[in-house]
Amino acid sequence: MLSEFSAIEGRSAGFWKLLAGLVVLVLMGAGSFVYVEIHGHAVTGMNNQIVWGLPHVFAISLLIMASGALNMGSMSTVFAVKQFEQFGRFSAFLSIALLIGGLTVLMLDLGRPDNMLLPMIHMNFRSMFTWNVFLYTGFMTLCLLYLWTMFEYKQYKKLIGTAAFGWRLVLTTGTGSIFGVIQGREVFGSAITAPTFVAISLTSGTALGILLLVYTFRFTRRELDDRLIFGMRNALIFFLLLVAYLLVVEKFTRLYDPASYDVESWILTGPWAWLYWLGVWGIGVLIPLTLMFNRNIGNSVNGVLMASAYVVIGAFCFVAHTLLAGQSYPFDLFPGYTISSAFLDGDAGRYAPTLNELLLGLGGVGISGLIYVLGIRFFRMLPEKGQVPKGWELPWSP
Amino acid sequence: MISPAFWSGRWSRASVLFLFLFAAWIVAPSSLWAAPPQPEKAVRGPCVRDAEWMRRNHMDFLKHKREETVREGVAVKSESFLACSGCHPSRERFCDRCHAYVAVAPNCFECHQYPK
Amino acid sequence: MTMDRRSVLGLGGAIAAGVALAPGLRLIAAPETSPGSVAASTPGKRWAMLIDTSRCSSDCSACVSACRTENNVPLFGDPERDIHWIRKVELRDQSQRKAPVSLPVLCNHCEQPPCVHVCPTEASFIRHDGLVLIDKHRCIGCRYCIIACPYKARSLVFYKTKPPKDTNPNVPIRAAGVVEKCTFCAHRLDEGKLPACVEACAKADKGAMLFGDLNDPKSEISQRLLKEKSQTIRPDLGLKPHVHYQGI
Repeated sequence: MLSEFSAIEGRSAGFWKLLAGLVVLVLMGAGSFVYVEIHGHAVTGMNNQIVWGLPHVFAISLLIMASGALNMGSMSTVFAVKQFEQFGRFSAFLSIALLIGGLTVLMLDLGRPDNMLLPMIHMNFRSMFTWNVFLYTGFMTLCLLYLWTMFEYKQYKKLIGTAAFGWRLVLTTGTGSIFGVIQGREVFGSAITAPTFVAISLTSGTALGILLLVYTFRFTRRELDDRLIFGMRNALIFFLLLVAYLLVVEKFTRLYDPASYDVESWILTGPWAWLYWLGVWGIGVLIPLTLMFNRNIGNSVNGVLMASAYVVIGAFCFVAHTLLAGQSYPFDLFPGYTISSAFLDGDAGRYAPTLNELLLGLGGVGISGLIYVLGIRFFRMLPEKGQVPKGWELPWSP
Repeated sequence: MISPAFWSGRWSRASVLFLFLFAAWIVAPSSLWAAPPQPEKAVRGPCVRDAEWMRRNHMDFLKHKREETVREGVAVKSESFLACSGCHPSRERFCDRCHAYVAVAPNCFECHQYPK
Repeated sequence: MTMDRRSVLGLGGAIAAGVALAPGLRLIAAPETSPGSVAASTPGKRWAMLIDTSRCSSDCSACVSACRTENNVPLFGDPERDIHWIRKVELRDQSQRKAPVSLPVLCNHCEQPPCVHVCPTEASFIRHDGLVLIDKHRCIGCRYCIIACPYKARSLVFYKTKPPKDTNPNVPIRAAGVVEKCTFCAHRLDEGKLPACVEACAKADKGAMLFGDLNDPKSEISQRLLKEKSQTIRPDLGLKPHVHYQGI
């Protein structure tokens, strides 16, 4: 029998400090939203070549992690991985928290947030965005139902949990397809973008889950069996290899095609190459893999935590690279010609994020954090003891 | 601390009500008591629709015209914003006065011009 | 499909009154308007432009300045955030064999526009005469259309502006946070005039821009597109753009 669920106490000074810190983040985000509203988007680093900047990077990263955070729940409900069952509530709730944070940033970065509800009145059902609206709301509903079944109606858990798992795959496919379906820009427009987003969501969601679980348990002085973390580490390694595979396949296919030599050499050596090599590959894939495959680091909880932090930052870099490099690459209106104009045709887009964009993005992180902290404070989300079920053994260790 | 018994007395409840009304009277803008503002009379006429009807429906009318003009490409010149100003020369005294009074802020004039 | 007030009223009235209601009777009587006061687009047309680059020179920007005056397009002095409905692009052959070319680039009013496809609110739409337009009342400023457009035809309004002194009252000025682009001067077309850029080009004695209806086989543009060699920008994307070029 695994341990009982309970809410955290939330009386310590540390708890209030954390809460205050998150509130400050949210307030600063709100402040920068108002500032951009008053002055127009000219006070951001965005311009007519890079129209989606740092707020979108934050928003999309949060949305990806939201679907990824459901992993632990899905693994226990759909794939009967018993040791994750105790984190099902945590996982579904974290999904909701991250989704709300991400969507808030996305909404507040609109040019006319006052018209925010128009998509509800006039819907264009061919638009990827409209589909995403349904995917997000549907996912949120399913997560809430999933939580409810885990609390009250265990007999429906399998049904709803499976539906939520299927939905999260479609959801992240939808998020990735925002870029995948765009043929007009050379860097976007690939069928493999959506699967790569799904893989990134698997890594980053699991990594964020590990980080939050370990720190929440440490913070509240609850017991957490290390072997649980190592089980998640194994899953994370598998997901990272999947990401690496998809990244390699994508690059291989592109590089094989002579028509995309220009684009690809620009990506691999151009102004955003550092983000690709250092961010996506280094921080996102290679460093965490090296850490987790190392016999000493990989077998310590702190080592896994470090690797997880790298993975989360790497996912952020992946989204940033997809968005920023994808938009910066100049339009090739007349192949074979060098073009120039007052509208900066032929120049690569430049983008330097400003403080208010960063604050808006962090505001979304603050909202997610606040929802999470208040959620575990008022609801019985977490087990009192993170235990390994009887008869379960860690299948593999580096 | 006032004892709970005080709040249940008839007079105390009346005094609370009185205080509330007094505060509302202080806080409320004086325009609440003044007669509603009258939009400026048209310098010539007649309007494109019956004036009473326009008073009630001009917002839907304009919205409908807007869909027709922008999306279907049928612009009836005599029923455009620009034509309003032919009979109502001042936007401030015709449109804004009432909108301010009823506290609505249509953003038509963020983009549309109202010739003087 | 949306139903506005009048169509709802009309439907209800038609059902209630049935055959008793005379055809053509309107529940809200519209005043008589003289025919000249209605500017209407014509369904069934397919507006297009043909640009002869051999008659366009790099020192001339009459089309660009005419567009700015006609459509009240301001210059903010911030090259990365300025609004461009039409711009002059200079082409230099990378192999140095051909002479440099100068040409205007504007919205191509594609037959299959990706911007309309991705717009979540149907703010970008195709009018029944083939123009791709933006209903700014509906635009939420999500910028997905800018991401989708391969011609860089669209600009977001980054700055809050006050109306400039000499404005053309027939074209609304702009609100910050919405996306805008070339309209082929829809307001002029509906009055039977040519787009401002085309008119300015002819006035500058260049005559490089030809504008007309592709659905009319006798129109000059149809004839020339049939007989002479021309090309569009990025035909490989299959969007069927309707700004055609000659002499590149």
